[in-house]
Amino acid sequence: MTSLDAVVRTLRGSDARSRALPYLVHAALGAAIWFATVQVAARVVPVERRVQLAALGVLVVLVVVAIAWIARRPGPDLLMQTADLHLGLKERLSTAWERRAADGLMDDLLRKDALQHALRDRLVRAFPIRINRREAGAVAIVAAAALALAVLPNPMDRLLAQAQADRASQAKAASTIHDVQNKIAASTKTAPVDPKVQKILSDTAKQIQDAKDPRSALEAISPAEQQLRQLSDPQTPARTATTQNLASALSTTTSEKAAAQALSASPSQGAQGVRNLAAQLPNLSPQERAQLAQALAGAAQSAKDPAMAASLQRASDALSSGDLAAAAAALNDLAGQLDSLQNQQTNDQQIASAINGLEAARQALAAQVDRDAAGSSAASGGAGASPAAAASAAAGSGNGNGNGNGNGTANGNGNGNGNGNGNSSGSGGSGGTGSSGSGSGTGSAAKPGEKVYVPGQPVPGQQENDPTPLGPGQDVPLTPYTEVIQSYQQAALDATSQSLIPGSEQDLVREYFARLGE
Amino acid sequence: MTSRLVIAEEPSADPKKVTELASNLEAELARLIVGQKELLRDTVIALISGGHILLEGVPGLGKTMLVRSLGQALDLSFSRIQFTPDLMPADIVGTNIIRENSGRRDFEYQPGPIFASLVLADEVNRATPKTQSALLEAMQERTVTVGTETRALPVPFFVLATQNPIELEGTYPLPEAQLDRFFFKALVPFPSETELLEIARRTTGNALPELHAIGDADAIVAAQRVAREVPIAEHVLRYAARLITATHPGRTELDSVRRYVRYGASPRGLQTLVLAGKVRALLEGRFNVAFDDLAAVARPALRHRVFLQFEAEADAITTDQIIDEILEHAKKES
Repeated sequence: MTSLDAVVRTLRGSDARSRALPYLVHAALGAAIWFATVQVAARVVPVERRVQLAALGVLVVLVVVAIAWIARRPGPDLLMQTADLHLGLKERLSTAWERRAADGLMDDLLRKDALQHALRDRLVRAFPIRINRREAGAVAIVAAAALALAVLPNPMDRLLAQAQADRASQAKAASTIHDVQNKIAASTKTAPVDPKVQKILSDTAKQIQDAKDPRSALEAISPAEQQLRQLSDPQTPARTATTQNLASALSTTTSEKAAAQALSASPSQGAQGVRNLAAQLPNLSPQERAQLAQALAGAAQSAKDPAMAASLQRASDALSSGDLAAAAAALNDLAGQLDSLQNQQTNDQQIASAINGLEAARQALAAQVDRDAAGSSAASGGAGASPAAAASAAAGSGNGNGNGNGNGTANGNGNGNGNGNGNSSGSGGSGGTGSSGSGSGTGSAAKPGEKVYVPGQPVPGQQENDPTPLGPGQDVPLTPYTEVIQSYQQAALDATSQSLIPGSEQDLVREYFARLGE
Repeated sequence: MTSRLVIAEEPSADPKKVTELASNLEAELARLIVGQKELLRDTVIALISGGHILLEGVPGLGKTMLVRSLGQALDLSFSRIQFTPDLMPADIVGTNIIRENSGRRDFEYQPGPIFASLVLADEVNRATPKTQSALLEAMQERTVTVGTETRALPVPFFVLATQNPIELEGTYPLPEAQLDRFFFKALVPFPSETELLEIARRTTGNALPELHAIGDADAIVAAQRVAREVPIAEHVLRYAARLITATHPGRTELDSVRRYVRYGASPRGLQTLVLAGKVRALLEGRFNVAFDDLAAVARPALRHRVFLQFEAEADAITTDQIIDEILEHAKKES
């Protein structure tokens, strides 16, 4: 040992090693406590990223302990004092260090004496490596407990999975709506995209995305559909019918079959055909003009749209009176109305596509709500076992939005999403997996003997296609109830045969569907 | 035959020589004094520290023998004063007497027995306070004033006062302020049976061991100067201060001190503790003061500076017990 500085360096290294192990034990204890706390908390409240949270906490603990280990390094004075105490050096080192720069009578002797003793003793013995057994035991116990908590089944896992599925279904529903938006924007060539439709879809997609659960997300769809319907023109069917009538009337004439075909093809082509007709009026023979005037008068009489009826009547009257210019002007007016009809039909198609998209989103969300409800019921002691649940499901039925998309059979899924058209068979009470249906529809119950249609559902394995845009005057595509109930029955029976369900319960399912088919 | 040591030739000094002197002195005294190692050590420490020592013990334990032996071993002048109630200050410090010289009468100062390097004040508590004060003033000031003239006492000047813990009737116990002037208060214990046998063997024959001078006044003075050079670390000094503070009932956490102690040690107690610690370190062959040094000298340095309540006497609590408890407490704090 050449100098007191060398002694200090040696002691510092020895002290660092000596303190490292206890600090590691501290860190292990802190990390284990944190890990166990996260595991316990994850059993009380759903913690989605508990592994990441635990890892982050462990990292923080390690960093804090490392900082503490570095920050609490003893100074040279304390190192020397501790070495004196542990090695029995009778304060030689600490006094010598304190007076390392002094040049008193004794100081040189003191330094030599201290260094001699330091050389004689193994300085590393001044800081022995020791573990607090009690703390180490605590680490082992807490770590074992934390590990057990991590390995044992966590009841919150199901909730987390459900939440994830909820979010996925909401994202899927929103994505479906966005796809519809894109398709509308891409497919519209003849008329500009109605910004209101796009805005409604965007808002609805956002509401669905931001909703706290699929059930809340469902509540955003019906108002959106209502808004979309309000955007459609109620006169469109009347004008379409008038156009068809005109096409039929013109097809009976000998000279205007081309215009009739154009009108049958589309309003825009019909408009062009009518303009051509107006331009060819001077070339027509008197007999052809009379024939045309008669056809136009007939069409005017059967027209359901007053404006078109007036134009047709004016054209007919002008032809009858030989006023070709007035007849041409009236026909041109009619052509303008046909152009307008084309725009209206395009707009309605957009609206229909949007509604179809919303319906697809509704189906996705409703399916998730069903799964959530089934999971909740299963967790609380068996599906359908509670009469109250059945009653709740029955209450949920019949309150849908009335757009004819519900199953109307009170199957107890309780999502309240469109049971408005009802079912006169009244077998809704046999459901039982729902919990609290809700809705605000205005649908009316079907009359006895009336054929009821419900929207088609994909059977297991079947690929789900995007809804087809609807044509003018068309409603949501419908599927006969008997086909739907068969596919449902098949899916249910397949599911029961693949699960550990007693035979008696399978019979119950079979009986349920049999009674529905009656 | 031990040769005399030359410890210091101004301005340098050799601490190892002090250690050698002390150990030789102890060894030489031990040839005559049986046992009493602690007493010998305390006496040597007080001597090298330049303080005075109060010996407390029953008669016949060798107190006078110790002082006489010390005088022989150090080749110092020695005087003994037997304190009695009728002893007057002038009997100690000396007086002016009329002397006729060639028909002319003059006052001439006749030095008292205090003018010796080693003074044994035997049974100091038997003299009146006035006489005690004369001695104690001389101890403190190291000068004597008679009439208008002040005379310095020899260097070194070392007083060993004795008092008997029994037979207190007719005595004048030393007041606290005067007790404080003693560097150490050493207890002279009764010898063990083995020591008694050895005493009998050594002292009942025809020949008594003859002590040789192993040092002189200069050696003692040099040793005193060297001792004060011994360094003491800051934390050790704080430990000494903590010990002193802990003797005060209003400043300690110890219940026993609060309950039994009336007054704690004075700052002079701290000075004594540190200086005695330095000397002990030298005697142990070290050049620094250790905690152990302070702990070792705490009893003789503090036992006459800590004053107990009546309740302590009633509970048979001694000052040494209190000091031990303070040491134990301070050790835990360190």
